Amino acid sequence: MGQNEPVPSLLLIEDDDAIRTALELSLTRQGHRVATAASGEDGLKLLREQRPDLIVLDVMLPGIDGFEVCRRIRRTDQLPIILLTARNDDIDVVVGLESGADDYVVKPVQGRVLDARIRAVLRRGERESSDSATFGSLVIDRSAMTVTKNGEDLQLTPTELRLLLELSRRPGQALSRQQLLRLVWEHDYLGDSRLVDACVQRLRAKVEDVPSSPTLIRTVRGVGYRLDAPQ
Amino acid sequence: MTQEHQGGTGGWSAARKGVWSRLRFTSLRLRLVVVFGLVALTAAVSASGIAYWLNRESVLTRTQDAVLRDFEQEMRNRAGALPEHPTQDELQRTAGQMANSSQRFTVLLVAENPDGRTVYGSSGGLNGFSLRDVPVSLREAVTERQRITSNNKSPHHLYWQRIIDDDTPYLVAGSMVIGGGPTGYMLKSLEPEAKDLNSLAWSLGIATALALIGSALLAHAAATTVLKPVQRLGAAARRLGEGKLDTRLRVSGTDELADLSRTFNKAAEALEKRVADMAGRDEASRRFVADMSHELRTPLTAITAVTEVLEEELESEGGGIDPMVEPAVRLVVSETRRLNDLVENLMEVTRFDAGTARLVLDDVDVADQITACIDARAWLDAVDLDAERGIHARIDPRRLDVILANLIGNALKHGGSPVRVAVRECPAEGAEGMEGAEGAGDGGDVVIEVRDHGPGIPEEVLPHVFDRFYKASASRPRSEGSGLGLSIALENAHIHGGEITAANSPEGGAVFTLRLPRDVSARGASEKTGDNGDEGTEEDAR
Repeated sequence: MGQNEPVPSLLLIEDDDAIRTALELSLTRQGHRVATAASGEDGLKLLREQRPDLIVLDVMLPGIDGFEVCRRIRRTDQLPIILLTARNDDIDVVVGLESGADDYVVKPVQGRVLDARIRAVLRRGERESSDSATFGSLVIDRSAMTVTKNGEDLQLTPTELRLLLELSRRPGQALSRQQLLRLVWEHDYLGDSRLVDACVQRLRAKVEDVPSSPTLIRTVRGVGYRLDAPQ
Repeated sequence: MTQEHQGGTGGWSAARKGVWSRLRFTSLRLRLVVVFGLVALTAAVSASGIAYWLNRESVLTRTQDAVLRDFEQEMRNRAGALPEHPTQDELQRTAGQMANSSQRFTVLLVAENPDGRTVYGSSGGLNGFSLRDVPVSLREAVTERQRITSNNKSPHHLYWQRIIDDDTPYLVAGSMVIGGGPTGYMLKSLEPEAKDLNSLAWSLGIATALALIGSALLAHAAATTVLKPVQRLGAAARRLGEGKLDTRLRVSGTDELADLSRTFNKAAEALEKRVADMAGRDEASRRFVADMSHELRTPLTAITAVTEVLEEELESEGGGIDPMVEPAVRLVVSETRRLNDLVENLMEVTRFDAGTARLVLDDVDVADQITACIDARAWLDAVDLDAERGIHARIDPRRLDVILANLIGNALKHGGSPVRVAVRECPAEGAEGMEGAEGAGDGGDVVIEVRDHGPGIPEEVLPHVFDRFYKASASRPRSEGSGLGLSIALENAHIHGGEITAANSPEGGAVFTLRLPRDVSARGASEKTGDNGDEGTEEDAR
């Protein structure tokens, strides 16, 4: 990390004192600014006050649980959310991804892994080229990092935006889930393909005319996904 | 119905058992039919035998009495009227007259003519009835002169005998005119009576046959009423043996079979309760392990996070840690990592035990996956990979990685390098351990072979290598592994519908062979997890 880079600010919502303290310690040492909250309600309040760059959210919380916090954040904000799940029971992961999380980490989490995920998620918002592409009514402006549909701005999370950018960079070419996991999530070879599926679903809900019968982001059976300009 | 079912789920195949029991049932049925048939036969034969004999006697006696009475009458009236020494002509005429009586018999009269020569008079002409046709014993009895006593008033009597000539029964009788006169013989054909009796015998025979058939049918019906419940009982016992413990029989009636059914139901109920108890206890202990590993996670997460801070401190230049404390910190770091692995493995095991483990399928290049697995663990130098790219499979990449890491890691630990990993494709053949070759045409299997160059696995250990916490020797110091690795690898192969086998190579060293179907979802072996549906209709991967 360069010295000029602004220090990313995180919000850690975790009810267990020991984990909160330990993770705060670990993440601070990795060079993040960390604010912490012990409950979902506190976390939502802190979110409004501090406007962090990213949220690390425990699933099992007293009061409103992590999924609900996630859903409430998504109503207004598109900032990245990483879920901290105690069980990698699949139901947890799926519900988490459906409620709008960008990535998840299973406890007992290693600080280094969490750090890597945080940095990968944050990188998704970085701009890299300065052209634009048009797919039907959809216009992707890579310099402004905005996507408009019929002239209206779409609210995309950095992950959704990155996924759309990677797909639009290779129009008409099918990308496998594992490829997308490497390109967008920067996961190693063991990425969870459900991350891709959940994100594609959310993206379709925003960019497609009829999300249930997509014309832009097509499923390529046995391979993955492809971005097509509608005929 | 006893011995063929007590085998339960023994070594017998169900099909063979079925054939066996059916054969047995058939033989019981056969025995019943035979016994019924014998009883019916005995009864029918003795009844018709007695009826036949009684009938025969009464028919014959009646005919005989009528004939003899007539003959006697004729003898008295006509032959008695003859002179003591009649001529041939007289004798012949009289015989003809006698034969004309209502009973239609043939008459032979024998007398001495006045010249002292024996003359014969026969009603049927000279070719007909002659003295040769009369049995000698009868002739003697007729001609013999008997003493007259108080009981026996005449010196001569009427004698008769039944003879068979040319298959035709005849009645022959002879008598002498008392006080000197011709001797008369009579021959009467009993053919009409024999015919009547024959047809009677036929009808009795037919009745017997009908009785036999009837009894066989009855036996069949009886056997069915007995065997039906027995068959039902057999089927129920088989179902029970297959693990369907809620199998019950409908009890109807109060006979022995109903009693048996009731006993069966009671036994099944007891068994079900017993199994449920045990399953409950099993479930409780399993949940305990699951809960425990859950609970361990929370503090472990905190410890892990902090340990990493300590670890970084160790590695940082200038060493911010007291050299005296350093070994302690290193120990904490390494043991925390082990504890993490152990809890991770425990969680995995409890998921398999609870049946909540799910596949997250994706299309992967097997060779790439193996390379990545080896690369990620810095094993590239120690592993000799023989795999062509381009072998694609639809599997759970994370689980494949767990299997590979455990197999290769185990080979490196116990066998030493170089470990040889070979991948090949195999047409689906329903091979070892796979249930049925239902997956024909789905692309077959991928076979991954991991071979080390160590001493191999001792024969007595071989069957236990996949057991949990199995240590090859009790005295061996605890190894680095959790003792769950190979067991987890096997469970991961099973959830794919695959199999892992362990063996020793003839060239030395242990060989673990992993066989996975190329497309789990096509084989329908497992859940349709991660099967991302058609356009737009993504299914939840759950």
